Amino acid sequence: MCRTGQQPGPPGAGGEKTSKAAFAALLEDSAEELYESAPCGYLSTLMDGTIAKINATLLGWLGLEPEAVVGRMRFTDLLTVGGKLYHETHFAPLLRMQGEVGGIALEIKQADGGRIPVLVSSVIKYAGTGEPLLIRTTVFDARDRRAYEEELLRGREAAEAARKQAEAARKQAEADRARLQDALTVLQKSLLPDSLPTMPGMEAAAYYHTASVDRLGGDFYDVFAIDGKRWAFFLGDVCGKGPQAAAVTSLTRYTLRAAALHDPDPVTALNTLNKVLHERYSGGDPRYCTAVFGILEPDSATGQVTVRLASGGHPPVLVLRADGTADFLPTPGGILVGILPDPCFAAATTVLTPGDTLLLYTDGITEARTGEDRTTLYGDDALRAFATHYAGKPPQAVIKALTELLDDFGDGLDDDTALLALGVPAEDPPTKNTR
Amino acid sequence: MTPLKITTRDTTTGPVLEIIGALDYPSAPELRDLLTTLTLQPGQRLILDLASMEFCDSSGITALIAARNHAQAAKADIALAAVPANTLRILTIVGLDRVFALYPDSDTAARA
Repeated sequence: MCRTGQQPGPPGAGGEKTSKAAFAALLEDSAEELYESAPCGYLSTLMDGTIAKINATLLGWLGLEPEAVVGRMRFTDLLTVGGKLYHETHFAPLLRMQGEVGGIALEIKQADGGRIPVLVSSVIKYAGTGEPLLIRTTVFDARDRRAYEEELLRGREAAEAARKQAEAARKQAEADRARLQDALTVLQKSLLPDSLPTMPGMEAAAYYHTASVDRLGGDFYDVFAIDGKRWAFFLGDVCGKGPQAAAVTSLTRYTLRAAALHDPDPVTALNTLNKVLHERYSGGDPRYCTAVFGILEPDSATGQVTVRLASGGHPPVLVLRADGTADFLPTPGGILVGILPDPCFAAATTVLTPGDTLLLYTDGITEARTGEDRTTLYGDDALRAFATHYAGKPPQAVIKALTELLDDFGDGLDDDTALLALGVPAEDPPTKNTR
Repeated sequence: MTPLKITTRDTTTGPVLEIIGALDYPSAPELRDLLTTLTLQPGQRLILDLASMEFCDSSGITALIAARNHAQAAKADIALAAVPANTLRILTIVGLDRVFALYPDSDTAARA
């Protein structure tokens, strides 16, 4: 009860007397009663620890009768083993040194084997001569407080566990993403040649623009030797994107390579690919590609290269002539590879003389959106006009110029684009290949 | 661009699907799903009316091929009506202008 917080009584001796009487009635609690039933435990011990006096509250907690305790037990007998140790090593020395110790957390044993966490404070009572007489000790029940602390600890541990879990999940996700990216890179590489072969009397250059790093592209190209005299090349575009398209691209690339070695006739190679794709992907989930497949046959005597090619639904290739002109080599009537059981592929032939370059491309470049509002398609005519400027230039120069053109398209170029240029050097140059 | 909407009506010669809006990568599966629920009798003609189709990418083309496969499996016929100029250009490049019967409108396609 806090008197300082009370409203002052009404003025006049009579009123004050009444409130004092009521207050005294409330305090009919004698000091003895307060000692015995206080909300904390009291005990007094001799300097050797023998319990001389103990209150009812503490006896209640301990579950002991006063006869069993007073004069028979020491304070340390009430403590757990750990508590005893701590008492001997810290509590008692500190108390002897300072004369008082406050708020030490210990555990007391109950008669039924239970334990109660308590907070213990002690003071030494000294005689007039300064001799220590006895120790007065208060014992506060710390069960609620301990529970609260444990709750706090549990909360902190849970938060820490959650944080660790989140951290582990984040690391795992990062590792997964890195692994996936590695796998995608390996896959993407398997779809394109590492380098182009060296061909006597010819030069080659290629470029691949990836529209999205996450979605494997469906464009493909390759150049490889058939025998000592002939080389095969192909370039195409598989419908769709992502893993399914990449699987078709892979199947397409290796089918065309194998087909070319078996029978290098261009229409036959495309027919073989068509058979494979049509059988594998017919019905409700059609998969197909456009492709140009061709054979290069250089004549070392004349320096000319005969090109025989076939197209399945692919935009016509461009031929850049040494005389500064550029024209499409038409392949009308060829259809997408893989959708019909008995398709028709369009064949065409041309001869490259020194300074001529054959340019193959996918429709990423012609379907690029240009203009201020990105609604105009770049188109075939613009590509031919652009290529005309580079007619007579070697394949590397043509590919470099087109690469810069693709860069200039910026976000107007939203599809993968493959470029392949195959040329006959203009005059006695070294055979050199770049990608 | 308008999101894809497909309306179906039955005629004496077979169903007519009107493709409205964009038939592209996100929406093409709608047409392909619809095809699986479409019953065709042998000898019927499935007509895809493209007069209101605003855009068609390679996924859209794939869906058109899936429609053709579906019709063929049912021993039915397929025709495209009112193909927009840009789509016709692409169909021509890839050779599909000779695979699909093309008509100026769905009525002509039904009578042919």
